[in-house]
Amino acid sequence: MSAREGHHESCNIRVEPDGAGAQPRTQANVAGDLSGGATSNLTSQGLPSSPAPTKDPCRVSAKPDTIQGEEPSASGHLGDDLSSRPHPQVLRTRTVPNSVSYDSTILSPGDEDGETFAELGTQGHSDRRFMDVSLSSRNTFESSRRHCCICWLRLFACTSTHQNRLADRGNKLSVSSLKIAHSWSWLFCLVRSLFPKKQREPKGPSQNVPGWKLFGKVPARESAPKDSRTIQQVAGTSPTQPQQGRRKNLEFEPLSTTALILEDRPANLPAKSVEEAQRHRQEYDEMVAEAKKRELKEAQRKRKEMKERFKQEESIANAMVVWNNDILPNWENTRNTRRVRELWWQGLPPNVRGKVWSLAIGNELNITPELYEIFLSRAKERWRSFSETGSETEADDGASLADRESSLDLIKLDISRTFPPLFIFQKGGPYHDLLHSVLGAYTCYRPDVGYVQGMSFIAAVLILNLEEADAFIAFANLLNKPCQLAFFRVDHDLMLKYFAAFEVFFEENLPRLFNHFQSSNLTPDLYLIDWIFTLYSKSLPLDVACRVWDVFCRDGEEFLFRTGLGILRLYEDVLLQLDFIRSAQFLTRLPEDIGSDRLFACIAAAPMLNGNRKWSQVSSSKQKKT
Amino acid sequence: MAYAYLFKYIIIGDTGVGKSCLLLQFTDKRFQPVHDLTIGVEFGARMITIDGKQIKLQIWDTAGQESFRSITRSYYRGAAGALLVYDITRRDTFNHLTTWLEDARQHSNSNMVIMLIGNKSDLESRREVKKEEGEAFAREHGLIFMETSAKTASNVEEAFINTAKEIYEKIQEGVFDINNEANGIKIGPQHATTNSTLSGSQGGQQAGGGCC
Repeated sequence: MSAREGHHESCNIRVEPDGAGAQPRTQANVAGDLSGGATSNLTSQGLPSSPAPTKDPCRVSAKPDTIQGEEPSASGHLGDDLSSRPHPQVLRTRTVPNSVSYDSTILSPGDEDGETFAELGTQGHSDRRFMDVSLSSRNTFESSRRHCCICWLRLFACTSTHQNRLADRGNKLSVSSLKIAHSWSWLFCLVRSLFPKKQREPKGPSQNVPGWKLFGKVPARESAPKDSRTIQQVAGTSPTQPQQGRRKNLEFEPLSTTALILEDRPANLPAKSVEEAQRHRQEYDEMVAEAKKRELKEAQRKRKEMKERFKQEESIANAMVVWNNDILPNWENTRNTRRVRELWWQGLPPNVRGKVWSLAIGNELNITPELYEIFLSRAKERWRSFSETGSETEADDGASLADRESSLDLIKLDISRTFPPLFIFQKGGPYHDLLHSVLGAYTCYRPDVGYVQGMSFIAAVLILNLEEADAFIAFANLLNKPCQLAFFRVDHDLMLKYFAAFEVFFEENLPRLFNHFQSSNLTPDLYLIDWIFTLYSKSLPLDVACRVWDVFCRDGEEFLFRTGLGILRLYEDVLLQLDFIRSAQFLTRLPEDIGSDRLFACIAAAPMLNGNRKWSQVSSSKQKKT
Repeated sequence: MAYAYLFKYIIIGDTGVGKSCLLLQFTDKRFQPVHDLTIGVEFGARMITIDGKQIKLQIWDTAGQESFRSITRSYYRGAAGALLVYDITRRDTFNHLTTWLEDARQHSNSNMVIMLIGNKSDLESRREVKKEEGEAFAREHGLIFMETSAKTASNVEEAFINTAKEIYEKIQEGVFDINNEANGIKIGPQHATTNSTLSGSQGGQQAGGGCC
């Protein structure tokens, strides 16, 4: 138990596609050394003149001799999975295979896996400085636990991304998605143990980071190249590079060293003149000086970043204490106080998030966990009878089929299309059945609404933050709110009235962009439908979306539209330059790197005031007009 | 980049038949086995060349679920072409074609070119709808027909381009009033220089900023 509690935020993962990754990474580093490219990550050891090694001796490849060799029994499925993959897709890790390391103490996610983690943990600990990628970085309001878990999700997402890319290239893959699924039983233990209710205070930040985006949205159309870039960048940042590797490398890539300029010319060419040699020496010195300057600047930036992160993490830890000790025990008295509302705006600490959401959403419908069980068993009965008769009656036409489509087939189809990069909701994934259950129970509970696409995203976010029954209760109550009901019943007229109300505030806040959109016929339904239906969980990175949900729970529907304004404000300058199709594409596929702080600054700058009329007044006056 | 014409397309059909994957294959030449589900509408654009003319396709990829029909209906307006997609491995998606076609005919202009697409042709072993059935349906309703695979890219280019050719021919025959944007066609800036007979219109001023 103590071991389980003891794991920490500095879970460091280094994943790199073999083959595909090695060469470009080297080049990237070299280019960076010479030209100050963003990819280069010079450290005190990595002098500018030294090319990055193509092979890093401390990098171990996750092949049988590493992962399985270290602890075959525990790596189990994952090991199988990786080792059976053909060469180019092999996950390579540094120091620790698929390295998850824990700062000081050790995680034991499940009894049978305890040993492995102990071992990995120890090794990870001793070699900590070799591990570059700290996952506890960017989204500091996320708890350390969530971080680790998401690392894993991310790891798997990457694995699959590379498979997909390689598959695209026509390579024969020996790893089927089934095999990935096999590893779930193992990952499941991990995820379970990483999503507990209790939470330890985050420790100080760790290591320099490119920083993986937790809960990061991996947009369908952009994901593959981005991921690989991240990985390459990550792979390129190795703080300690043994001399051996560099030497070896020199032979193969003489062009990659800037110091070549100091060498004498080959004997068959005229020798350098004294001036020339001197000039070369000077140029070289300048290059070195330049690189050193860059290095210093980079180090400074990192220090600042780290300090910032440390500060943020500390404030999360503090906020957590306040939420747990002061606010939650006196919820009704404190929820509307200014102090609490302000703290709320900052983002809820992950381990109180579910609790606060539940309390804020409330339970007007008086749903009990027992009621959930009843509807769930009804849903299961329907699935059973469907699977018994389903294949025969499939050719049926008419209403019965439409009905079935909406409740059964479709849920199944959509679950795997819910956060596909996270993998946990895919068939065989740890949350697949859970999501199926919650959605199935809901269609039995509200047959008049049924299952509507977009619901799976909302249910998924709730499942990630709440226990099953609580997630269902929150889900049903959330969908019962007027705005959500209007959307999920697809009451088109009412939706248009919401959009009209939105446009009032849009014009008030961003008149230039409003006019630009008007002139190019870009109506708000084109982007708002996706945003509102899924409460931004599909369009924003998951961590940002959760923060939007935080304040949505506080402020209600108004905040959804306000967030929309915030996004438009954030990208106003870009959007003003784009024509209809580009804008529409942009807004239905928002940039992946949207940061919550910048977004929230823009949301804060978008007051929902039209003259002295508030959202509720404008919106209800629109709804009264017929 | 300048274009002679801009055609608006809409992709319709039951959920999960591969509409977004067809679009992704056409615009990005990629296939994604598990695609995000589409809520509302998503967009794609690509330039093609027909008869030496640059034509920009502006593609609206709609949500397929029955519940979203009322929303989808509002997107037919101004479409010059529609790709009506079903999944050859799911008979029900073929059975629903009639209602889709009704919707399309009712909410679009009568000249809209409709291409019927039986997608997932790579899954021959799971086929539930024969190719002949698709052909027969298309013949009966005056549609163009093709079987495609967004996965292998088979016929995907052709599906989009043949639809454009059909629209282009209709323009040449004078069936489309190209000065009426409700027909889903805009004249680009390029056209003004290449075809003087069509250049007097308002075409180009709105779409002119388009680049691809």
